[in-house]
Amino acid sequence: MLKKALLALPVAMALGATAHAEKPPEEVLQGLIDAIDSTYLTQSEMNIMMMPDNPALWVGMDGEDLFHTPRGPNNVSMEACDFGKGPGVLEGAYVEMPRYFEDTGKVMDLETRIVHCMTEVQGFDPDDPAVTRRHGSGSDHMKIQTYIAMQSNGMEWNNPLEHPLEQAMRDAGEVLFARRAGMSDFNCYACHGETGKRVRASQLPAVDVPEEWTKAISWPAHRVGHDNVRSSQHRVRGCYYQMRQPGMLAGSDASIALISYWTDLARGQPAVLPDMKR
Amino acid sequence: MFKKTPMAAGVAAFATLLFAGGSAVADTGNGYAVDYTAMTPHELAEYLIFEANDGGGFNLSQEMQEGGTARDRMQQDELQIACSLIDNADPDPETAAAIREAAGESIVYPEGGIQLGDWERGRELAWSGFGYRVGHNYDDHDARPVGGTCYNCHQMATDRTGGNVGPNLTGYGKTRGTSEAVLKYAYDMIYNPHVYFPCTHMPRFGASGFLDDESIADIMAYMFDPESPVNE
Ligand code: HEC
Ligand code: HEC
Repeated sequence: MLKKALLALPVAMALGATAHAEKPPEEVLQGLIDAIDSTYLTQSEMNIMMMPDNPALWVGMDGEDLFHTPRGPNNVSMEACDFGKGPGVLEGAYVEMPRYFEDTGKVMDLETRIVHCMTEVQGFDPDDPAVTRRHGSGSDHMKIQTYIAMQSNGMEWNNPLEHPLEQAMRDAGEVLFARRAGMSDFNCYACHGETGKRVRASQLPAVDVPEEWTKAISWPAHRVGHDNVRSSQHRVRGCYYQMRQPGMLAGSDASIALISYWTDLARGQPAVLPDMKR
Repeated sequence: MFKKTPMAAGVAAFATLLFAGGSAVADTGNGYAVDYTAMTPHELAEYLIFEANDGGGFNLSQEMQEGGTARDRMQQDELQIACSLIDNADPDPETAAAIREAAGESIVYPEGGIQLGDWERGRELAWSGFGYRVGHNYDDHDARPVGGTCYNCHQMATDRTGGNVGPNLTGYGKTRGTSEAVLKYAYDMIYNPHVYFPCTHMPRFGASGFLDDESIADIMAYMFDPESPVNE
């Protein structure tokens, strides 16, 4: 197994054997930058330069260990888990989530599917910290999410909408996106409705510019300001906080509906995984 | 017009109707308590907020600074419903007219007319993003005054970086003067901007109770006082 002693090598190279990447994430991002004129995509030269040494790459390497090691009361590895393309198949799995899973009859995003795998396949108690700790680079969740997501780097977002429940969740997510509530009357369009907008110094991605939106939804990403790798669910929570609305419960059907819609908005654009954000 | 509607109650009743009773995943392929595909997107969204996941998809029990719980805050009033338009569309002309009229009726002017307060306090309030945030990092209103978040969306004085979601307000008082009409327009914009821009994304700082009279007067002083750095 790869260990941190390899730090001298560029991390991306060390990971080359496992990460799906004809192009490393920084080149995927460069392709988007070349395709359109966008203040959002180019806002941090520093981050773009740092991407070959993205700390999230290390978090993903830890995730690789965790994923392939037999764990939990049942002592099985996550290779036994189906992320949509069959047990243990990770290449391209994440860009096709959220999706409907027959074994649960539900539409699930990556995070809820990992929870399912931990509790149902590995046998972890739902209250075990491995299951409940969702945030921070040191959490099992972020490590495993990052590892799985990296196997979709450069691939096009393409969450399936064939199943009626997939379509229903996507459509409800569209309503949630537009839904105003709370002390500020905000919906997601208030800040993400138009390209070239800033909240204070932060350049915002626009929902109707897919080249921007694909980077926006490319989580896990190392958030420089937080010095931690963050997830989609964490981002959703942050935006509702700014909107003066209550936090979405992690893994709630509402959060999965929202993520189904936001993934649909980036359909056909390549994912930047892992990404770096401000 | 523009009252909160008891939407959640309606959805709850609807959900009960849909509950077929014990239909296992194996039979129907539906792992949810109710059939999501039998609802309209709008009904499903309301259900996901207020009912799904044993009591709602958000942390709805938390107490809010304005009183009530998060469940109450997530209820929409009529304006919020009318302006929740898919694809950020504009309201149709009839709706827009109704919104403007209702917004006009909502505006309450201070006794003795519109006043300019303390621009220095207004400067801090226009900058501050504190207030009414809930969830994992709850704003305690006893600790600090509620800010106006104006700089999130507007450039004002140039000594601090403002956003550009709204127009640049640098030199606002200097270029427009302080006639009664100008002050009224600015007051209306802060109190309820839907009177001029139906379905604007700028919050209703007066009508919602977000800012009190004193804070509005102070922020207006920041915009209009000749001493204020906005008008340098
Ligand atoms: C009040 C303004 C505001 C609203 C409303 C808002 N956001 Fe955001 N959003 C931001 C800001 C600011 C950032 C960037 C954070 C930063 O740069 O620190 C952001 C970032 C994001 C990102 C990641 C992009 C990035 O580079 O970090 C996504 C995805 C996103 N928002 C989705 C949403 C969704 C979905 C909603 C509605 C539920 C929403 N936002 C509502 C302000 C807002
Ligand atoms: C979420 C973003 C947002 C916030 C926060 C916000 N505004 Fe605005 N504001 C706007 C937008 C957008 C417009 C333009 C109206 C429109 O087209 O919807 C506007 C317009 C205005 C105007 C009219 C400008 C003109 O051309 O005369 C004034 C005055 C104003 N805002 C003041 C304020 C003040 C004062 C605050 C803080 C208390 C504030 N705004 C907070 C978004 C915002």
